[in-house]
Amino acid sequence: MQLDRVSVAFGAAVALREACLQIEPGTRLGIVGESGCGKSMLGLCLMGMIPDAGKVSGSIRLNGKELAGAPEHVWRRHRARDVAMIFQEPMAALNPLKRIGDTVMEPLEVHEGLSRSAARARALALFDEVGIPDPDSRLRQYPHEISGGQRQRVLIALALACNPSLLVADEPTTALDANVALRIIDLLVRLSETRNMALVFISHDLAAVARATQQIAVMYGGDIVERGPTAQVLGAPRHPYTIGLLGARPGLDNRGRGPDGRRKRLVTIPGTVPPLFELPAGCRFSGRCTREIASCALQRPQPLALGAGQVAACHLLGQAHAGAGAS
Amino acid sequence: MTAPLLELHGVSRRYRMPREALLRPPAVLTAVNNVSLTLAPGQTLGIVGESGSGKSTLARLVMAFERPDEGTVLFEGTDLNGLSAGALRMARRRFQMVFQDPYGSLDPRRRVGWSIAEPLRATGATDSPARVKQVLDQVGLRAADAEKYPHEFSGGQRQRIAIARAVVTRPALLVADEAVSALDVSVQAQILNLLMDLQEEMGLAMVFISHDLAVVACICDRMLVMKHGDCIEAGETSRLIASPRHEYTRSLLVASGL
Repeated sequence: MQLDRVSVAFGAAVALREACLQIEPGTRLGIVGESGCGKSMLGLCLMGMIPDAGKVSGSIRLNGKELAGAPEHVWRRHRARDVAMIFQEPMAALNPLKRIGDTVMEPLEVHEGLSRSAARARALALFDEVGIPDPDSRLRQYPHEISGGQRQRVLIALALACNPSLLVADEPTTALDANVALRIIDLLVRLSETRNMALVFISHDLAAVARATQQIAVMYGGDIVERGPTAQVLGAPRHPYTIGLLGARPGLDNRGRGPDGRRKRLVTIPGTVPPLFELPAGCRFSGRCTREIASCALQRPQPLALGAGQVAACHLLGQAHAGAGAS
Repeated sequence: MTAPLLELHGVSRRYRMPREALLRPPAVLTAVNNVSLTLAPGQTLGIVGESGSGKSTLARLVMAFERPDEGTVLFEGTDLNGLSAGALRMARRRFQMVFQDPYGSLDPRRRVGWSIAEPLRATGATDSPARVKQVLDQVGLRAADAEKYPHEFSGGQRQRIAIARAVVTRPALLVADEAVSALDVSVQAQILNLLMDLQEEMGLAMVFISHDLAVVACICDRMLVMKHGDCIEAGETSRLIASPRHEYTRSLLVASGL
């Protein structure tokens, strides 16, 4: 899947600004950022599920086929078979009045034209693959009878039903306890590897993304501000927003008390994410950035390749780069 | 050693589940089972565990919203459950609580200044606009914000309002139940720093409840790990992180990336 300068606008509010991404088969990409930064909008772009009020521009190509602006019936042919999605709240995504088995078997019967018994056999195999114990009795249960982690596994099984080549997981672990979340992440990684399925993992949890993915894109205010190999970006972040996000996360180095006996404070990013229609025109992060220079609020920084696949959009990096080139 | 601010001695709380069969007795869920703890003035105690482990029930017991089935809750040496309703309400000015969802705990139809002053009125103190201004300033908001309504604020600001309301009576103990869990990481860091500031300025003791061990570790001197209503491990934060004795604590550490 390839995204080239994809923007989504709702009237004057730009939810996504010229996003460029490339997702190779079988690779795992993480998308991080705070609420309202456009992560989910990017995920919906990949599924062709942008709300009607949104205006999409740019190019979205799936296996070379242009899908930006394609009508619903074209997208429908690709959903489930090529791209599938799982969401944060598994209870809301399952029909509470239907047995789990009926929910999982439905796409198999409708999309793949399987008979009831063949669909049942496939559902059992899928449950086995996603690690649901005692799949036979699970098929007969209702969503409220199983735990949150099991429900998320059911949704993963459902998403895998038609063997998609790309799975978009939008905050799949946010509603789960930490231990359960860890097992779901490991399951997604394993499935991506065994099925050679690409995974887009959207989360605000940096630790989860670090564990799940190979590539990462950091979003702020609808822009992809930094991207590259996960270990590279999280290990040596270059954009001030990425640096701020990493510093704000409680960890080992900002714990305990300093030499004066006072508790160590966390690094914070001043202010909060502004609403979409109040975003600054230039760099979206200007106004909150601690290293802001005059051009930040006015001019939009261009993505700059920093080596080892790392790309960041920040005026400071551009300056340093130009300075290094001149000397 | 100063006298402890808060003591729980062998506290248990059980809930009766809905009856499943007519002739069988209803099942009983033990939400908190025989938990004891002490907290000195100005100290922070973290309570961690996954959902359903009894963390919030423990908070409600500390706040005397619930009566324990067994054991006693002593605050500044007084058994809270032995007090009359009126005396308990007066005593509440010394211990206050902050919840996870600040929007759910603020009246949407009242100006925030009114909400912040409510604990003052409820505990018989005078409702003073000057004190409201003072706490707004303390939590990093403007005095003029007292005239606004909750929907005019962001999630982080609302949590600041909830904290302002909790500290307006100058309590000795603050119980924070998942107070930063709903916030984005940069705002979460701001609120954690604010709680640390307030603690140093006011000598506030805190019971800090969270499912996120990393958050608890950065703000708490001591921790208590709960599972299925039992306290399975307790001790100094640094000791628990360096050498957890219980397998469950270890798995929480791995899960929080520490």
